Amino acid sequence: MPKIQNRIRRLRFDRDEMTQQELAEKVGCTRQTIIAVEQGKYVPSLELSFRIARAFKVPLEEVFQYE
Amino acid sequence: MAPLQKRSLFALLLETLWALAIILVFISQGGATKYDTNASFRLIMDGMWVGGLILYWWLFSSFDRRPSQFDERDKKVIDRVSKVQWWAVILSLVAWVIGLSEHYHAQGQIPVIFLSLIFFSTLIASTLAQSVGILFGYWRMNRNA
Repeated sequence: MPKIQNRIRRLRFDRDEMTQQELAEKVGCTRQTIIAVEQGKYVPSLELSFRIARAFKVPLEEVFQYE
Repeated sequence: MAPLQKRSLFALLLETLWALAIILVFISQGGATKYDTNASFRLIMDGMWVGGLILYWWLFSSFDRRPSQFDERDKKVIDRVSKVQWWAVILSLVAWVIGLSEHYHAQGQIPVIFLSLIFFSTLIASTLAQSVGILFGYWRMNRNA
């Protein structure tokens, strides 16, 4: 079954271990949503996905992959 | 636990206590017959209904909807809650219709006092369903992932 994977945890780690709270504040959502997205329990909207990619300064497909 | 989830859990607890208090007072004070004839009993009950509704309004209207507290995931859960509330209201009305129709079938009429009881019990069902629906929505979102 196709699933959307993400590399948020890895990207946070690469950005001086950015906390989930810091990322949430940057993209304008709750920390719980970042946790859910990271764990693959919630697929974010396109807008939030772009905001997350922008927070890491990488293209969208570097954060999310459709497998 | 998301802020809205916490708020709903707290609301569910208060709403359950509120509903239990209303039922206990209603039964202990004499039930529908006394409610029909005693004005002060009706006043107490009306105070409890309205007090509970004000508490419910305060619980959800005072909720902080800044992005750090409320986001698209919460909105998605909230959007689905109306379905749960609709079912709670319908089931509550079905229970009243069947119960009253069967009980008062021989008389051919239902005491007018049941109008307010139906209205307030449906409101209680709806407020409880909102909190249950929110909690269920988060649970389902995590489970279906």
